[in-house]
Amino acid sequence: MNGRKTYMTGKAMICSLGDSLKEIVDAVRSKRIRLAQLSFDLAGLPYTKPYYLIQRNEGDKLANRSEQYFYDILYSTVSSAIADAGLNGAEIRDMDVFFGSTSMDIPVFEGNHHRMMSTVSGMFLQSSYGYGKIAVAIMDRFGIGGSCYSFATACTSSANALLYASAMIESRRTKRALVVGYDLFSNLGFYGFEALKSIAAEEYRPFDKNRDGLILGEACGAIVLEGGPRKSGDFVHLGGANLCDTFSVTSHDVEGSIVAETMNRALKQARLGTGDICAVKAHATGTESNDSTETAAMRRVFGNGIPPVTCVKPFVGHTAGACGVIEQILFTESVKGGFIPSTPGFREVDEQLNLQPVAENMEAGVGNFMLNYFGFGGNCTTLIISNKASMG
Amino acid sequence: MSEIFIHSASAFIGTANEDINQLKKELIRYTPDNFRRVNRFILLTLLGARQCVHEQYLDPYTAVYLTTEHGNLGETAQVLDEIYLAHALPKPFGFINTMSNTAAFYLAQNLGIRGRNITVSSQHLSFERGMELVRTDFADGAEKSALIGGVDEASLPQEFTEEQIGHGWRRIDGSGWLYIKAEKDGAVGTIKAIMSFQDSASCLMWIRERAPVDVVSFGALIDDYEAAKLRKALLPAAEFDYLSEYGYSGSSTACGVSLFIRLFQGKILLHINKDWRGHYAVIEVERY
Repeated sequence: MNGRKTYMTGKAMICSLGDSLKEIVDAVRSKRIRLAQLSFDLAGLPYTKPYYLIQRNEGDKLANRSEQYFYDILYSTVSSAIADAGLNGAEIRDMDVFFGSTSMDIPVFEGNHHRMMSTVSGMFLQSSYGYGKIAVAIMDRFGIGGSCYSFATACTSSANALLYASAMIESRRTKRALVVGYDLFSNLGFYGFEALKSIAAEEYRPFDKNRDGLILGEACGAIVLEGGPRKSGDFVHLGGANLCDTFSVTSHDVEGSIVAETMNRALKQARLGTGDICAVKAHATGTESNDSTETAAMRRVFGNGIPPVTCVKPFVGHTAGACGVIEQILFTESVKGGFIPSTPGFREVDEQLNLQPVAENMEAGVGNFMLNYFGFGGNCTTLIISNKASMG
Repeated sequence: MSEIFIHSASAFIGTANEDINQLKKELIRYTPDNFRRVNRFILLTLLGARQCVHEQYLDPYTAVYLTTEHGNLGETAQVLDEIYLAHALPKPFGFINTMSNTAAFYLAQNLGIRGRNITVSSQHLSFERGMELVRTDFADGAEKSALIGGVDEASLPQEFTEEQIGHGWRRIDGSGWLYIKAEKDGAVGTIKAIMSFQDSASCLMWIRERAPVDVVSFGALIDDYEAAKLRKALLPAAEFDYLSEYGYSGSSTACGVSLFIRLFQGKILLHINKDWRGHYAVIEVERY
């Protein structure tokens, strides 16, 4: 018997591939990618870098964005996830909110400053109502009556939100949880990663010999978790773990020992062995150090029997703190659609890594899956999910 | 509830806008490590937590739960100025340190611990919600020892804090910490209850069963009228008005509870707090 059982009964997301799950999964299936080129005008730099921008209509254009836009994207996503789960009014009220983000409401201050007589930092210092503000706004808007928790652990933020939402449902501290991962474009993030020289020049190529970094993306995703399934095929959270690799604030130990230990702890909590995992959704940022560490860690855990590895960032970009929720939805919806996604951009095996991620869509059935997430500040989170239980 | 024992507690109360070098000097009392690329928020985290576990042996898998209302305000504002006013790319470490969990990272690195590392926030109830996460992990058996703290800078302008909170409390840099374990041996106190209520009536009903209590303390949003009503229900022998005595920061609750452990031997505290939505959270703490 497995450990935890928390069901993913509702989900929705808006990202560069669109705002309908069908449209998004179709794009993943056929390797359709939409990349924008953005400039560094504010810093006067004479070049552009790629970015996975939401581009559905005129309103999505960066110049047209405002505080209203920020909350429209958020509320629209949450509303769709609640509808997907089929929650009634009483069930919505009886829910907790777990929110994860890296940029929090920085995009609001950046978007507003042209309209206000203030600097961005001035607005930030004078108007910041704290990291908890966005979760409270969700609760007010939808009449959610429970508690809210906003996670700020860099790129593992919404993965940790999922970890705790699942744990609190399992321990019967809460009946159901709305887990939101949200990171909208911000100059702070775009210029910041450029300052770190982490942004790839043209193409996302995780684990490839010629990988040259990450490409950021923006997205909002929401998942409803509950103690029981609503539909056949609902994915189950079986367990997870979080540890801190204190090697460096920017990168994990290339030997991968703490990352591997996180995976092992997650497996233990899910009461599964390495042989029970059908596929791994890698964090796969496409940076030299992340991919080396992650490969070393998988080798420590799985030996020479590493299951098929998929990397979904090339479809939507590195969505920072939102990636926990976004990549879980992308992965589970693809599996429901019968396939484990390919890794676009991967062409040549790196001899140092000797790892070949799934190059073409692979048939997917019923099984257990490992999802890995890492972040600045040494944060390591692994989640184990399954579609076995709800498929009978 | 599975038992959570307090093994030590400490609060660092700093003057608003204190020179960072002064904070670094203070930190040398607790660790020989030299911190170069750190900011006020990180230093406050290190100061409060190092003070709390000074000369204690820590299990390598000790977890860190950092709770905060605003996170790293000061350096985030600086990085925004680098982009929008200086028209430059930000300094790499400045950008990385805008992510507030780096404070919990530097603490774990300095202490040589690699357990769970979580930074969490919840408007006006950040410390209480952090304690709920701890309770889940301890009940689960996932964690057996942890540091939980609340850290906030006093970088918000006084008038803004007044508008939100009122009362004229002195603004402070606050960093309050508890070192907690599932093991009772050597403990100085215990967390007896962590309760959450969606309205004042259900909160009042629960706390009436606790009366009379030794000591009561109130969070920042409990106004005078409500405090009087709660006093009447609780009949406390004493009140610990830590906000008037020590000042306000976003993490006042963490400081208040930590200070109680240091100041009130042999007493039980009921700390009552609320958020803007009228949700209440109560922590019951016993100091042996």
